[in-house]
Amino acid sequence: MQTSRRTVLRTALGGVLGLPAIGSARAATPTVLRAVMQGDLRSFDPIWTTANISAYYGAMVYDTLFAIDDTYKPQPQMVGKWGLSDDKKTYTFQLRDGLAWQDNTPVTAADCVASIRRWAVRNAGGQAIMARAQDLSAKDDKTIVLTLKEPFGLVITALSTCTTPICFMMPKKDAETDPFQQVSGRIGSGPFTFNQTLTQPGSRYVFDKWDKYAPRSEPASSLAGGKVVKLDQVMWENITDQQTASAALSAGEIDFYELPPLDLVPQLASNPNIKLKIMNPTGNVGELRMNTLHPPFDNVKARQAMLYLLDQKAILNATFGDPKYYHPSPSIFGYETPMSNDANTGWFTEAPNPAKAKQLFAEAGYKGEKVIVLQATDFAFMNNSAQLVAGWLQGIGVNAELAAMNWGEVITRRASMKPDDQGGWDIFITYGGGFDFSDPIMLIALAANGTKGWFGWPENADYEKLRTQWAEAGTVAEQQVIAKKMQAVAWDFVPMAMLGSWTQPAAMRTNVDGFLTNPDVVPFWNVTKT
Amino acid sequence: MGAYIGRRLLATLVVMAIVGLIVFLLLHLAPGSPAAIIAGDNATPAQIALINRQLGLDRPLPVQFGLWAWDVLRGRFGTSIFSGVPVMELVLQRIPATVSLSLVTIVFAATVAVTGGVLAAWRVGGVLDRTLMAIAALGFSVPVFVVGYLLIYLFAIRLRWLPVQGYVPISAGLWPWLSHLLLPALALGLAYLALISRITRAAVLEVLAEDYIRTARAKGATSMSQLFHHALRNAGVPIATVIGIGIALLISGVVLTETVFNIPGIGRLTVDAITNRDYPIIQGVMVIFSGAYVVINLMVDLSYTLIDPRIRR
Repeated sequence: MQTSRRTVLRTALGGVLGLPAIGSARAATPTVLRAVMQGDLRSFDPIWTTANISAYYGAMVYDTLFAIDDTYKPQPQMVGKWGLSDDKKTYTFQLRDGLAWQDNTPVTAADCVASIRRWAVRNAGGQAIMARAQDLSAKDDKTIVLTLKEPFGLVITALSTCTTPICFMMPKKDAETDPFQQVSGRIGSGPFTFNQTLTQPGSRYVFDKWDKYAPRSEPASSLAGGKVVKLDQVMWENITDQQTASAALSAGEIDFYELPPLDLVPQLASNPNIKLKIMNPTGNVGELRMNTLHPPFDNVKARQAMLYLLDQKAILNATFGDPKYYHPSPSIFGYETPMSNDANTGWFTEAPNPAKAKQLFAEAGYKGEKVIVLQATDFAFMNNSAQLVAGWLQGIGVNAELAAMNWGEVITRRASMKPDDQGGWDIFITYGGGFDFSDPIMLIALAANGTKGWFGWPENADYEKLRTQWAEAGTVAEQQVIAKKMQAVAWDFVPMAMLGSWTQPAAMRTNVDGFLTNPDVVPFWNVTKT
Repeated sequence: MGAYIGRRLLATLVVMAIVGLIVFLLLHLAPGSPAAIIAGDNATPAQIALINRQLGLDRPLPVQFGLWAWDVLRGRFGTSIFSGVPVMELVLQRIPATVSLSLVTIVFAATVAVTGGVLAAWRVGGVLDRTLMAIAALGFSVPVFVVGYLLIYLFAIRLRWLPVQGYVPISAGLWPWLSHLLLPALALGLAYLALISRITRAAVLEVLAEDYIRTARAKGATSMSQLFHHALRNAGVPIATVIGIGIALLISGVVLTETVFNIPGIGRLTVDAITNRDYPIIQGVMVIFSGAYVVINLMVDLSYTLIDPRIRR
């Protein structure tokens, strides 16, 4: 073979300039999907943190015993056969064939027992299981046995939850890590392997298809069914600037943008190469927490006044603009979740009614004391809502004062149980995943167990009894009946105020298809790029 | 000269120690805590307290500072609270991108600005002078992110000449590396171009009024020789100073530029760490930055002796 000076020059120039050698043979191009996700993957331990992005990582690298399908029903995933004893106290789970860790060692029941134990320390559902557990052990390499002291209807629901932290299975040596320390391993049994060589922390995270993953035979459905990977590689590009991420999608430099800001959505939608999809049909739910330990909100009438005062539509419109993406909803269980209902909501449907709110504050004995509204300025929804709420309170003569701070400061200050003059607070605004609101056991914000519970610390014994009954109910239908009763009680003592629900579409190039929906995770199996 | 450099390097250590103390105090006295972020939105106060204890953040501040300072003295900057990666490893990963951006920016700004400033002084009051000074005023007035977005829209989306964002190491090829840096360097460099060109113009104007320039002209020196051999060389000290300041200021300037153009540099690392309250990263980066700042100033001081031999005496 002769090598001309021109060929040498061309090759050298190509090398320096980074251009492909002209006329050279081309290898098959791997299918790489570049995605901008909701935030930076700060932790590689989806049990240690509740951050959703770490759960996304978990869903790539790890697998679960059970998983919910797109109707939110739990389905076996790593489990092949399973059974419940007649006395409903003993669960037996048998691992399906072909499961292996990404270092090619087999997945054993002992790995799974250690994983469940570690997860249970950090997850409310897991804590509920372990509080009732008599024994959790590996009967043999493939069989896990859970024996309870009393029947508990939420075992499978908890094991299949997609609310973070999700019950991911890890190798025993990782699963034996203190639940409050991060695991160092990156080996799972999920459909993707984590590519540490190409990953640049804070900038880019790379996942490769794991060829030895054995998917289930059923069709993929949310986190359940066959996790068939149709891409060679997935790259999460951490583009923090929203305008830049949108421009990168428009230019085709990225293929998928999970959470484009709603004000940029119309511009993206007008691009013929981009399409939109709601990835999380249950969206997010906003809530307003009141400090029930101190005046004025230690008085139920002041809390009821807030339900008359709040205009959900105005609050949602202030941040999300397009009514297509938001829904006012008075249910404590969120919008269109399996537990949503309208029990005891009729009395405040006339809201906003400032006159009625003013009257109730007076009946609560309000004497002009300061009402501190924590305003998280770095989250648009919290920032805008806090300003509206403070304005409406001032409008009816309440001495409301905004305390502007970042979210990090809010989560520190809201833990204070002291009165306002000692660093306390009266109102803060937050939001959570819509699906989470359908589970009053997993979501601690739906508890009313006083100072043992969540910020605001509402307390009501009748409600708590119903919450326990809900946990023990055998079927979703029974839970729905109890959920109605819970809400009827809740809107009598008003543990919080709801601020409505919203969804946010993801944007992707039109050559990308097959994304499955889920309330808390974005799955990358089943996705194609042409 | 050796003693001078030694004294300045010793001062660098003192500056780094003071910066370390101030950054430590500011971070730990500011509200917000990494434990609350780690614990998540559903955590109870007891869980947050437990994480605080495990991170050692419940210890008295002097103890925390002492432990950290002792580690730094031994060259250990700690590990990121969130990723568990050593701070020095993270910094080393990010340095190439920041150095590349700074280098391209300063080369672009200094080359264009010094040439432009000299020519503006040569034709003071003319069209060239007014045009250059108008560009300088624009460079001072328009924020870097506005320039950045406009450049992205024009060159990356409309014309599709350059990529929107990202960074490619030089090992992947000269053009891929440079193509990802041109727009950010242009956006970031505009302000430095303005600063350096105005100082150059003023310094050269002052020198052009000197007797020795008139002598050179009388001896038949060409305009270019007058400008670049006689005038520019004698106006070199203030220009070198402002370029040096520019390099130091770039450290802060790259933060926004790296965010807008998604360049994984030190600036992005710092911003992300501040958002997450990742104390070891913030403290480590600040101490390293302060050292770099002092060393750059020292190098600028030493460059005076090369530009103007009179300073050596």
